Amino acid sequence: MPRPLWNGSLSFGLVNVPVQLTSGTRDLDLHFRQLHKKDGAPIEQRRYCSQDEVEVDWEEIGRGFELDDGKQVVLTDEELASVQPEKTRTIDVQAFVDLEDVDPIYFDNTWFLVPAGDSQGTRRAYRLLVEVMESTQRAALGRFVMRTKEYLVLVRPRDGLLSLTTMRFHDEVRPTDGIAPGGRKPAKDKIEQAVAVIESLGTDWDPERYTDCYRERLKRVVEEKKKGKKIKAPTEPKEPKPAPDLMEALQATLERMGSGKGGGNGKGKAKGGRRQKAGAKS
Amino acid sequence: MPKSIWNGTISFGLAHVPIKLYSATESKTVSFREVHLSDGAPIEHRRLCSEEGKEVPYKEVVKGYEVSEGEYVVLEKDEVKAAAGARGKVIEIEDFVPGDDIDPIFVEKTYYVGCRDDGDAYKVFQAALEETGRVGIGRFTFHDREYLAAVRPLDGVLALHTLRFHDEIVDAGDLEVTIPRKGPSKQEAKMAEQLVDSLHEDFDPTDYEDTYREAVLDLIDRKAKGKKIERPEFEEREETDDLAAALKASLKGRKS
Repeated sequence: MPRPLWNGSLSFGLVNVPVQLTSGTRDLDLHFRQLHKKDGAPIEQRRYCSQDEVEVDWEEIGRGFELDDGKQVVLTDEELASVQPEKTRTIDVQAFVDLEDVDPIYFDNTWFLVPAGDSQGTRRAYRLLVEVMESTQRAALGRFVMRTKEYLVLVRPRDGLLSLTTMRFHDEVRPTDGIAPGGRKPAKDKIEQAVAVIESLGTDWDPERYTDCYRERLKRVVEEKKKGKKIKAPTEPKEPKPAPDLMEALQATLERMGSGKGGGNGKGKAKGGRRQKAGAKS
Repeated sequence: MPKSIWNGTISFGLAHVPIKLYSATESKTVSFREVHLSDGAPIEHRRLCSEEGKEVPYKEVVKGYEVSEGEYVVLEKDEVKAAAGARGKVIEIEDFVPGDDIDPIFVEKTYYVGCRDDGDAYKVFQAALEETGRVGIGRFTFHDREYLAAVRPLDGVLALHTLRFHDEIVDAGDLEVTIPRKGPSKQEAKMAEQLVDSLHEDFDPTDYEDTYREAVLDLIDRKAKGKKIERPEFEEREETDDLAAALKASLKGRKS
Protein backbone atom coordinates (compact mmCIF):
# COMPACT_ATOMS: atom_id res chain seq x y z
CA MET A 1 0.00 0.00 0.00
CA PRO A 2 1.27 3.51 -0.76
CA ARG A 3 2.54 5.70 2.04
CA PRO A 4 -0.29 7.39 3.96
CA LEU A 5 -0.60 11.13 3.41
CA TRP A 6 -2.30 11.77 6.70
CA ASN A 7 -2.87 9.86 9.93
CA GLY A 8 -5.63 10.57 12.38
CA SER A 9 -9.07 9.49 13.37
CA LEU A 10 -12.56 9.70 12.02
CA SER A 11 -15.06 10.70 14.70
CA PHE A 12 -18.73 9.98 14.48
CA GLY A 13 -20.65 10.63 17.68
CA LEU A 14 -18.46 9.07 20.35
CA VAL A 15 -17.08 6.49 17.95
CA ASN A 16 -13.46 7.09 16.99
CA VAL A 17 -11.85 5.14 14.20
CA PRO A 18 -8.11 5.52 13.52
CA VAL A 19 -7.67 6.05 9.79
CA GLN A 20 -5.06 6.89 7.18
CA LEU A 21 -5.48 8.83 3.96
CA THR A 22 -4.11 7.44 0.71
CA SER A 23 -4.59 8.76 -2.80
CA GLY A 24 -7.82 7.99 -4.59
CA THR A 25 -6.48 9.25 -7.89
CA ARG A 26 -3.17 8.86 -9.65
CA ASP A 27 -1.24 11.31 -11.75
CA LEU A 28 -0.44 9.70 -15.10
CA ASP A 29 0.79 12.88 -16.75
CA LEU A 30 4.22 12.88 -18.35
CA HIS A 31 6.44 15.05 -16.26
CA PHE A 32 9.23 17.10 -17.73
CA ARG A 33 12.38 18.30 -16.17
CA GLN A 34 13.99 21.66 -16.73
CA LEU A 35 17.35 21.31 -18.46
CA HIS A 36 20.12 23.74 -19.30
CA LYS A 37 19.93 24.17 -23.07
CA LYS A 38 23.69 24.48 -23.48
CA ASP A 39 24.80 21.23 -21.83
CA GLY A 40 21.55 19.35 -21.23
CA ALA A 41 22.26 19.17 -17.50
CA PRO A 42 19.22 19.19 -15.18
CA ILE A 43 18.36 22.49 -13.54
CA GLU A 44 18.22 22.60 -9.78
CA GLN A 45 15.99 24.99 -7.90
CA ARG A 46 17.73 26.52 -4.90
CA ARG A 47 16.51 28.98 -2.34
CA TYR A 48 18.50 32.16 -1.83
CA CYS A 49 18.05 35.03 0.56
CA SER A 50 17.37 38.09 -1.56
CA GLN A 51 19.33 40.23 0.92
CA ASP A 52 22.43 38.24 1.86
CA GLU A 53 22.93 36.38 -1.44
CA VAL A 54 23.39 33.11 0.47
CA GLU A 55 21.71 29.80 -0.05
CA VAL A 56 19.10 29.13 2.63
CA ASP A 57 18.24 25.75 4.13
CA TRP A 58 14.64 24.74 4.53
CA GLU A 59 14.87 25.00 8.35
CA GLU A 60 15.80 28.68 8.08
CA ILE A 61 12.69 29.59 6.14
CA GLY A 62 9.66 31.20 7.73
CA ARG A 63 6.29 32.26 6.43
CA GLY A 64 5.90 35.96 5.83
CA PHE A 65 2.55 37.73 5.83
CA GLU A 66 2.22 41.35 4.83
CA LEU A 67 -0.10 43.46 6.99
CA ASP A 68 -2.23 46.30 5.62
CA ASP A 69 0.31 48.87 6.83
CA GLY A 70 3.06 47.19 4.82
CA LYS A 71 4.74 45.65 7.85
CA GLN A 72 5.56 41.98 7.73
CA VAL A 73 4.77 39.30 10.30
CA VAL A 74 6.88 36.16 10.15
CA LEU A 75 5.58 32.85 11.49
CA THR A 76 7.49 29.65 12.01
CA ASP A 77 5.96 26.31 11.11
CA GLU A 78 5.63 25.50 14.83
CA GLU A 79 3.68 28.69 15.45
CA LEU A 80 1.38 27.91 12.56
CA ALA A 81 0.89 24.40 13.93
CA SER A 82 -0.55 25.94 17.10
CA VAL A 83 -3.75 26.82 15.24
CA GLN A 84 -6.55 24.41 16.11
CA PRO A 85 -4.21 21.41 16.47
CA GLU A 86 -7.03 19.00 17.28
CA LYS A 87 -8.40 19.55 13.78
CA THR A 88 -5.16 18.27 12.30
CA ARG A 89 -5.73 14.95 14.05
CA THR A 90 -9.46 14.35 13.78
CA ILE A 91 -12.03 14.35 11.00
CA ASP A 92 -15.17 15.32 12.86
CA VAL A 93 -18.40 14.17 11.26
CA GLN A 94 -20.90 16.98 11.74
CA ALA A 95 -23.83 15.87 9.62
CA PHE A 96 -25.02 13.29 7.14
CA VAL A 97 -26.26 14.55 3.79
CA ASP A 98 -27.55 13.19 0.51
CA LEU A 99 -24.81 13.05 -2.10
CA GLU A 100 -27.05 14.41 -4.86
CA ASP A 101 -27.54 17.60 -2.82
CA VAL A 102 -23.85 18.40 -3.11
CA ASP A 103 -22.98 20.03 -6.42
CA PRO A 104 -19.74 18.67 -7.95
CA ILE A 105 -18.51 22.25 -8.17
CA TYR A 106 -17.56 21.88 -4.49
CA PHE A 107 -15.44 18.79 -5.11
CA ASP A 108 -11.69 19.07 -4.99
CA ASN A 109 -9.70 15.86 -4.56
CA THR A 110 -10.63 12.33 -3.61
CA TRP A 111 -8.74 9.99 -1.30
CA PHE A 112 -9.27 6.65 0.35
CA LEU A 113 -9.72 6.54 4.08
CA VAL A 114 -8.41 3.18 5.29
CA PRO A 115 -8.59 1.76 8.83
CA ALA A 116 -5.35 2.16 10.76
CA GLY A 117 -5.97 0.76 14.24
CA ASP A 118 -5.20 -2.83 15.11
CA SER A 119 -8.01 -3.43 17.53
CA GLN A 120 -10.95 -5.47 16.38
CA GLY A 121 -13.23 -2.77 17.78
CA THR A 122 -11.98 -0.08 15.42
CA ARG A 123 -11.95 -2.36 12.40
CA ARG A 124 -15.54 -3.32 13.13
CA ALA A 125 -16.44 0.33 13.64
CA TYR A 126 -14.95 1.09 10.20
CA ARG A 127 -16.99 -1.66 8.60
CA LEU A 128 -20.09 -0.44 10.42
CA LEU A 129 -19.60 3.05 8.99
CA VAL A 130 -19.29 1.66 5.48
CA GLU A 131 -22.42 -0.42 5.91
CA VAL A 132 -24.56 2.21 7.55
CA MET A 133 -23.75 4.75 4.84
CA GLU A 134 -24.50 2.16 2.17
CA SER A 135 -27.85 1.26 3.70
CA THR A 136 -28.92 4.84 4.41
CA GLN A 137 -27.48 6.14 1.08
CA ARG A 138 -25.98 9.07 2.92
CA ALA A 139 -22.58 10.68 3.00
CA ALA A 140 -20.87 12.07 6.09
CA LEU A 141 -19.92 15.74 6.09
CA GLY A 142 -16.96 16.65 8.25
CA ARG A 143 -13.94 18.87 8.44
CA PHE A 144 -10.25 18.60 9.19
CA VAL A 145 -6.95 20.37 8.63
CA MET A 146 -4.24 19.02 6.36
CA ARG A 147 -1.06 20.89 5.47
CA THR A 148 -2.23 24.15 7.06
CA LYS A 149 -5.53 24.27 5.22
CA GLU A 150 -8.92 23.41 6.52
CA TYR A 151 -11.16 21.27 4.34
CA LEU A 152 -14.80 20.52 4.38
CA VAL A 153 -14.93 16.84 3.46
CA LEU A 154 -17.44 14.32 2.29
CA VAL A 155 -16.90 10.74 3.43
CA ARG A 156 -18.79 8.00 1.65
CA PRO A 157 -18.47 4.32 0.85
CA ARG A 158 -16.66 3.21 -2.27
CA ASP A 159 -16.23 -0.46 -3.12
CA GLY A 160 -16.34 -1.55 0.52
CA LEU A 161 -13.96 1.15 1.74
CA LEU A 162 -14.49 4.77 2.73
CA SER A 163 -13.53 7.54 0.36
CA LEU A 164 -12.91 11.12 1.41
CA THR A 165 -13.41 14.06 -0.92
CA THR A 166 -12.03 17.44 0.02
CA MET A 167 -14.46 20.25 -0.80
CA ARG A 168 -14.33 23.96 -1.34
CA PHE A 169 -15.97 26.31 1.12
CA HIS A 170 -18.98 28.23 -0.14
CA ASP A 171 -17.04 31.48 -0.46
CA GLU A 172 -14.47 29.74 -2.66
CA VAL A 173 -17.12 29.11 -5.30
CA ARG A 174 -17.80 32.27 -7.27
CA PRO A 175 -21.32 33.48 -7.93
CA THR A 176 -22.57 33.24 -11.51
CA ASP A 177 -23.27 37.00 -11.55
CA GLY A 178 -21.82 38.59 -14.65
CA ILE A 179 -21.69 35.35 -16.64
CA ALA A 180 -23.67 36.17 -19.80
CA PRO A 181 -26.64 33.79 -19.93
CA GLY A 182 -27.57 34.47 -23.57
CA GLY A 183 -30.67 36.29 -24.71
CA ARG A 184 -34.29 35.65 -23.88
CA LYS A 185 -35.88 32.25 -23.75
CA PRO A 186 -35.84 30.86 -27.28
CA ALA A 187 -38.80 29.47 -29.17
CA LYS A 188 -40.06 26.07 -28.05
CA ASP A 189 -39.47 24.36 -31.38
CA LYS A 190 -35.79 25.26 -31.32
CA ILE A 191 -35.34 23.77 -27.87
CA GLU A 192 -37.25 20.66 -28.96
CA GLN A 193 -34.99 20.27 -31.96
CA ALA A 194 -31.88 20.63 -29.78
CA VAL A 195 -33.34 18.08 -27.33
CA ALA A 196 -33.73 15.67 -30.26
CA VAL A 197 -30.08 16.18 -31.25
CA ILE A 198 -28.95 15.64 -27.65
CA GLU A 199 -31.01 12.46 -27.36
CA SER A 200 -29.67 11.16 -30.66
CA LEU A 201 -26.14 11.58 -29.32
CA GLY A 202 -27.24 10.14 -25.96
CA THR A 203 -25.42 7.21 -24.44
CA ASP A 204 -24.61 5.80 -21.00
CA TRP A 205 -21.71 7.23 -19.05
CA ASP A 206 -18.86 4.83 -19.54
CA PRO A 207 -15.58 6.43 -18.47
CA GLU A 208 -13.53 3.72 -20.19
CA ARG A 209 -14.62 5.02 -23.57
CA TYR A 210 -12.42 8.03 -23.09
CA THR A 211 -8.66 7.66 -23.12
CA ASP A 212 -6.17 10.41 -22.58
CA CYS A 213 -5.10 11.05 -26.17
CA TYR A 214 -2.87 13.90 -25.07
CA ARG A 215 -0.79 11.57 -22.90
CA GLU A 216 -0.53 9.07 -25.78
CA ARG A 217 0.44 11.71 -28.32
CA LEU A 218 3.01 13.23 -26.01
CA LYS A 219 4.60 9.77 -25.55
CA ARG A 220 4.71 9.41 -29.33
CA VAL A 221 6.26 12.82 -29.79
CA VAL A 222 8.97 11.87 -27.25
CA GLU A 223 9.60 8.56 -29.09
CA GLU A 224 9.90 10.24 -32.46
CA LYS A 225 12.12 12.97 -31.17
CA LYS A 226 14.35 10.32 -29.60
CA LYS A 227 14.74 8.80 -33.05
CA GLY A 228 15.81 12.19 -34.31
CA LYS A 229 12.65 13.05 -36.20
CA LYS A 230 11.46 16.58 -36.56
CA ILE A 231 8.03 17.33 -35.19
CA LYS A 232 5.90 20.18 -36.35
CA ALA A 233 2.99 21.70 -34.50
CA PRO A 234 -0.28 21.23 -36.38
CA THR A 235 -1.87 24.35 -37.76
CA GLU A 236 -4.84 25.36 -35.74
CA PRO A 237 -8.12 24.78 -37.51
CA LYS A 238 -10.38 27.75 -37.98
CA GLU A 239 -12.96 28.29 -35.31
CA PRO A 240 -16.38 27.41 -36.74
CA LYS A 241 -18.88 30.24 -37.01
CA PRO A 242 -22.34 29.82 -35.62
CA ALA A 243 -24.83 28.91 -38.32
CA PRO A 244 -27.00 31.84 -39.42
CA ASP A 245 -30.04 29.62 -39.00
CA LEU A 246 -29.82 27.44 -35.90
CA MET A 247 -32.98 25.50 -36.78
CA GLU A 248 -31.46 24.49 -40.09
CA ALA A 249 -28.20 23.39 -38.46
CA LEU A 250 -30.07 21.28 -35.91
CA GLN A 251 -32.25 19.78 -38.63
CA ALA A 252 -29.21 18.95 -40.76
CA THR A 253 -27.53 17.34 -37.73
CA LEU A 254 -30.55 15.15 -37.11
CA GLU A 255 -30.67 14.10 -40.75
CA ARG A 256 -27.01 13.19 -40.66
CA MET A 257 -27.54 11.14 -37.48
CA GLY A 258 -30.58 9.46 -38.94
CA SER A 259 -28.66 8.31 -41.97
CA GLY A 260 -26.01 6.90 -39.68
CA LYS A 261 -23.22 9.13 -40.93
CA GLY A 262 -22.85 11.14 -37.80
CA GLY A 263 -21.67 8.33 -35.58
CA GLY A 264 -24.82 8.60 -33.49
CA ASN A 265 -26.79 5.55 -32.52
CA GLY A 266 -29.66 6.13 -34.86
CA LYS A 267 -32.03 7.46 -32.27
CA GLY A 268 -32.28 10.74 -34.11
CA LYS A 269 -35.66 10.00 -35.54
CA ALA A 270 -37.13 8.89 -32.25
CA LYS A 271 -38.52 12.15 -30.99
CA GLY A 272 -39.86 12.38 -27.51
CA GLY A 273 -37.32 9.92 -26.15
CA ARG A 274 -36.52 12.21 -23.30
CA ARG A 275 -34.71 10.91 -20.26
CA GLN A 276 -34.62 7.45 -21.70
CA LYS A 277 -31.32 5.72 -21.36
CA ALA A 278 -29.85 5.11 -24.75
CA GLY A 279 -27.98 1.88 -25.19
CA ALA A 280 -24.22 2.16 -24.86
CA LYS A 281 -22.33 2.45 -28.08
CA SER A 282 -19.33 0.25 -28.31
CA MET B 1 -17.35 41.84 -14.08
CA PRO B 2 -15.40 38.59 -14.00
CA LYS B 3 -12.51 38.20 -16.43
CA SER B 4 -12.75 35.45 -19.01
CA ILE B 5 -9.80 33.09 -19.42
CA TRP B 6 -10.63 31.44 -22.74
CA ASN B 7 -12.75 32.17 -25.81
CA GLY B 8 -13.99 29.38 -28.02
CA THR B 9 -16.90 27.47 -29.46
CA ILE B 10 -18.90 24.52 -28.20
CA SER B 11 -20.03 22.36 -31.11
CA PHE B 12 -22.68 19.69 -31.02
CA GLY B 13 -23.59 18.22 -34.35
CA LEU B 14 -23.60 21.11 -36.83
CA ALA B 15 -24.62 23.67 -34.24
CA HIS B 16 -21.95 25.99 -32.86
CA VAL B 17 -22.19 28.00 -29.66
CA PRO B 18 -19.65 30.84 -29.21
CA ILE B 19 -18.63 30.96 -25.55
CA LYS B 20 -16.26 32.41 -22.98
CA LEU B 21 -14.81 30.51 -20.01
CA TYR B 22 -14.43 31.88 -16.50
CA SER B 23 -12.92 30.38 -13.35
CA ALA B 24 -15.73 29.19 -11.09
CA THR B 25 -13.61 28.75 -7.98
CA GLU B 26 -10.91 30.60 -6.12
CA SER B 27 -8.85 29.62 -3.12
CA LYS B 28 -9.28 31.75 0.01
CA THR B 29 -6.51 30.05 1.94
CA VAL B 30 -4.28 32.52 3.79
CA SER B 31 -1.12 32.55 1.73
CA PHE B 32 2.37 33.33 2.93
CA ARG B 33 5.59 33.99 1.19
CA GLU B 34 8.86 32.31 2.02
CA VAL B 35 11.19 34.52 4.02
CA HIS B 36 14.61 34.09 5.59
CA LEU B 37 13.98 33.69 9.34
CA SER B 38 17.16 35.53 10.36
CA ASP B 39 16.45 38.78 8.51
CA GLY B 40 12.91 38.50 7.16
CA ALA B 41 14.09 39.04 3.59
CA PRO B 42 12.10 37.29 0.83
CA ILE B 43 13.47 34.01 -0.48
CA GLU B 44 14.22 33.76 -4.18
CA HIS B 45 14.11 30.56 -6.13
CA ARG B 46 17.07 30.40 -8.44
CA ARG B 47 17.73 28.00 -11.26
CA LEU B 48 21.21 26.51 -11.17
CA CYS B 49 22.80 24.27 -13.75
CA SER B 50 23.62 21.03 -11.91
CA GLU B 51 26.80 20.69 -13.98
CA GLU B 52 28.25 24.19 -13.79
CA GLY B 53 26.72 25.27 -10.49
CA LYS B 54 25.92 28.63 -12.09
CA GLU B 55 22.63 30.45 -12.31
CA VAL B 56 20.75 29.89 -15.58
CA PRO B 57 18.50 32.57 -17.11
CA TYR B 58 15.02 31.38 -18.03
CA LYS B 59 15.62 31.66 -21.78
CA GLU B 60 18.35 29.04 -21.54
CA VAL B 61 15.99 26.49 -19.97
CA VAL B 62 14.43 23.71 -22.06
CA LYS B 63 11.98 20.94 -21.20
CA GLY B 64 13.31 17.39 -21.10
CA TYR B 65 11.61 14.05 -20.65
CA GLU B 66 13.66 11.35 -18.95
CA VAL B 67 13.52 8.26 -21.21
CA SER B 68 16.06 6.27 -19.18
CA GLU B 69 18.15 7.21 -16.18
CA GLY B 70 19.99 10.42 -16.92
CA GLU B 71 18.96 10.39 -20.59
CA TYR B 72 16.61 13.19 -21.60
CA VAL B 73 14.73 13.91 -24.78
CA VAL B 74 14.37 17.65 -25.20
CA LEU B 75 11.03 18.93 -26.46
CA GLU B 76 10.56 22.39 -27.92
CA LYS B 77 7.40 24.32 -27.22
CA ASP B 78 6.08 23.58 -30.70
CA GLU B 79 6.60 19.87 -30.17
CA VAL B 80 4.56 19.91 -26.99
CA LYS B 81 1.94 21.80 -28.99
CA ALA B 82 1.93 18.94 -31.50
CA ALA B 83 0.79 16.62 -28.71
CA ALA B 84 -1.94 19.02 -27.66
CA GLY B 85 -3.69 18.15 -30.91
CA ALA B 86 -5.45 20.15 -33.55
CA ARG B 87 -8.67 21.04 -31.86
CA GLY B 88 -8.04 24.74 -31.86
CA LYS B 89 -10.70 26.65 -30.05
CA VAL B 90 -13.46 24.08 -30.28
CA ILE B 91 -15.05 21.98 -27.60
CA GLU B 92 -16.64 19.27 -29.66
CA ILE B 93 -19.32 17.37 -27.76
CA GLU B 94 -19.01 13.66 -28.56
CA ASP B 95 -21.73 12.22 -26.35
CA PHE B 96 -24.52 13.26 -24.07
CA VAL B 97 -24.75 11.18 -20.89
CA PRO B 98 -27.12 11.23 -17.89
CA GLY B 99 -25.69 13.92 -15.60
CA ASP B 100 -26.36 12.03 -12.39
CA ASP B 101 -24.30 9.05 -13.53
CA ILE B 102 -20.93 10.79 -13.43
CA ASP B 103 -19.44 10.23 -10.01
CA PRO B 104 -18.04 13.52 -8.72
CA ILE B 105 -14.71 11.73 -8.21
CA PHE B 106 -14.10 12.40 -11.92
CA VAL B 107 -14.50 16.15 -11.54
CA GLU B 108 -11.24 18.05 -11.50
CA LYS B 109 -11.84 21.78 -12.02
CA THR B 110 -14.95 23.80 -12.75
CA TYR B 111 -15.39 26.77 -15.06
CA TYR B 112 -18.40 28.86 -15.89
CA VAL B 113 -19.35 29.14 -19.54
CA GLY B 114 -20.75 32.48 -20.68
CA CYS B 115 -22.43 33.43 -23.94
CA ARG B 116 -20.21 35.37 -26.39
CA ASP B 117 -22.66 36.71 -28.99
CA ASP B 118 -26.29 37.76 -29.32
CA GLY B 119 -27.40 34.62 -31.14
CA ASP B 120 -29.75 32.23 -29.40
CA ALA B 121 -27.64 29.06 -29.71
CA TYR B 122 -26.34 29.34 -26.14
CA LYS B 123 -29.77 29.61 -24.63
CA VAL B 124 -31.16 26.83 -26.82
CA PHE B 125 -28.31 24.52 -25.81
CA GLN B 126 -28.66 25.39 -22.13
CA ALA B 127 -32.43 24.90 -22.09
CA ALA B 128 -32.21 21.63 -24.02
CA LEU B 129 -29.59 20.22 -21.64
CA GLU B 130 -31.76 21.18 -18.70
CA GLU B 131 -34.73 19.45 -20.24
CA THR B 132 -32.91 16.19 -20.99
CA GLY B 133 -30.97 15.95 -17.72
CA ARG B 134 -27.95 15.09 -19.80
CA VAL B 135 -24.48 16.60 -19.88
CA GLY B 136 -22.27 16.92 -22.94
CA ILE B 137 -18.92 15.10 -22.94
CA GLY B 138 -16.20 16.50 -25.15
CA ARG B 139 -12.56 17.41 -25.33
CA PHE B 140 -10.86 20.74 -25.46
CA THR B 141 -7.38 22.18 -25.52
CA PHE B 142 -6.36 24.68 -22.91
CA HIS B 143 -2.79 25.91 -22.30
CA ASP B 144 -1.35 23.40 -24.77
CA ARG B 145 -2.94 20.34 -23.29
CA GLU B 146 -6.09 18.44 -24.01
CA TYR B 147 -8.77 17.85 -21.41
CA LEU B 148 -11.86 15.71 -21.18
CA ALA B 149 -14.75 17.95 -20.19
CA ALA B 150 -18.39 17.77 -19.17
CA VAL B 151 -20.70 20.67 -20.04
CA ARG B 152 -23.86 21.02 -17.97
CA PRO B 153 -26.48 23.57 -17.04
CA LEU B 154 -26.00 25.30 -13.68
CA ASP B 155 -27.83 28.18 -12.13
CA GLY B 156 -29.20 29.56 -15.42
CA VAL B 157 -25.87 29.36 -17.24
CA LEU B 158 -23.54 26.56 -18.35
CA ALA B 159 -20.67 25.08 -16.37
CA LEU B 160 -17.74 23.04 -17.64
CA HIS B 161 -15.98 20.46 -15.48
CA THR B 162 -12.63 19.09 -16.58
CA LEU B 163 -12.71 15.34 -15.91
CA ARG B 164 -10.13 12.79 -14.86
CA PHE B 165 -9.58 9.81 -17.10
CA HIS B 166 -10.73 6.41 -15.86
CA ASP B 167 -7.19 5.10 -15.38
CA GLU B 168 -6.44 8.04 -13.09
CA ILE B 169 -8.96 6.75 -10.57
CA VAL B 170 -7.60 4.29 -7.99
CA ASP B 171 -9.79 1.25 -7.34
CA ALA B 172 -10.37 -0.05 -3.84
CA GLY B 173 -8.96 -3.36 -5.07
CA ASP B 174 -5.59 -1.68 -5.72
CA LEU B 175 -5.19 -1.20 -1.98
CA GLU B 176 -4.55 -4.06 0.38
CA VAL B 177 -6.91 -3.41 3.22
CA THR B 178 -8.30 -6.06 5.51
CA ILE B 179 -11.77 -5.43 6.73
CA PRO B 180 -13.06 -7.88 9.35
CA ARG B 181 -15.27 -10.51 7.87
CA LYS B 182 -17.67 -10.38 10.77
CA GLY B 183 -20.10 -7.55 10.24
CA PRO B 184 -21.67 -5.41 12.92
CA SER B 185 -24.48 -6.89 14.96
CA LYS B 186 -28.07 -6.01 14.13
CA GLN B 187 -28.22 -3.93 17.28
CA GLU B 188 -25.09 -1.96 16.35
CA ALA B 189 -26.31 -1.39 12.81
CA LYS B 190 -29.64 -0.15 14.13
CA MET B 191 -28.04 2.27 16.56
CA ALA B 192 -25.70 3.55 13.87
CA GLU B 193 -28.64 4.15 11.53
CA GLN B 194 -30.47 6.06 14.24
CA LEU B 195 -27.39 8.18 14.77
CA VAL B 196 -27.09 8.89 11.03
CA ASP B 197 -30.77 9.85 10.93
CA SER B 198 -30.45 12.16 13.90
CA LEU B 199 -27.52 13.92 12.20
CA HIS B 200 -29.20 14.11 8.79
CA GLU B 201 -29.38 17.58 7.25
CA ASP B 202 -30.08 19.13 3.89
CA PHE B 203 -26.76 20.27 2.51
CA ASP B 204 -26.39 24.03 2.69
CA PRO B 205 -22.82 25.07 1.94
CA THR B 206 -23.26 28.39 3.76
CA ASP B 207 -23.67 26.48 7.04
CA TYR B 208 -19.94 25.76 6.97
CA GLU B 209 -17.41 28.52 7.32
CA ASP B 210 -13.66 28.05 7.15
CA THR B 211 -12.94 28.87 10.80
CA TYR B 212 -9.33 27.80 10.45
CA ARG B 213 -8.68 30.64 8.00
CA GLU B 214 -9.95 33.10 10.62
CA ALA B 215 -7.83 31.44 13.29
CA VAL B 216 -4.68 31.81 11.15
CA LEU B 217 -5.44 35.53 10.65
CA ASP B 218 -5.95 35.81 14.40
CA LEU B 219 -2.58 34.13 14.99
CA ILE B 220 -0.92 36.66 12.65
CA ASP B 221 -2.58 39.44 14.61
CA ARG B 222 -1.35 38.09 17.96
CA LYS B 223 2.16 37.66 16.63
CA ALA B 224 2.12 41.21 15.25
CA LYS B 225 1.24 42.46 18.74
CA GLY B 226 4.27 40.66 20.09
CA LYS B 227 2.36 37.99 21.98
CA LYS B 228 3.95 34.65 22.68
CA ILE B 229 2.57 31.85 20.58
CA GLU B 230 2.08 28.53 22.30
CA ARG B 231 0.69 25.31 21.07
CA PRO B 232 -2.45 24.50 23.04
CA GLU B 233 -2.66 21.12 24.69
CA PHE B 234 -5.39 18.85 23.56
CA GLU B 235 -6.32 15.32 24.32
CA GLU B 236 -6.05 12.78 21.57
CA ARG B 237 -9.28 10.89 21.32
CA GLU B 238 -9.05 7.27 22.23
CA GLU B 239 -9.94 4.72 19.66
CA THR B 240 -13.21 2.95 20.17
CA ASP B 241 -12.92 -0.50 21.62
CA ASP B 242 -16.46 -1.17 22.71
CA LEU B 243 -18.47 -0.24 19.63
CA ALA B 244 -21.92 -0.93 21.06
CA ALA B 245 -21.24 1.14 24.17
CA ALA B 246 -19.90 4.07 22.13
CA LEU B 247 -22.95 4.02 19.87
CA LYS B 248 -25.30 3.87 22.82
CA ALA B 249 -23.59 6.80 24.52
CA SER B 250 -23.64 8.80 21.27
CA LEU B 251 -27.37 8.28 20.86
CA LYS B 252 -28.00 9.25 24.45
CA GLY B 253 -25.96 12.40 23.90
CA ARG B 254 -28.06 13.33 20.86
CA LYS B 255 -31.35 12.90 22.65
CA SER B 256 -30.61 14.86 25.80
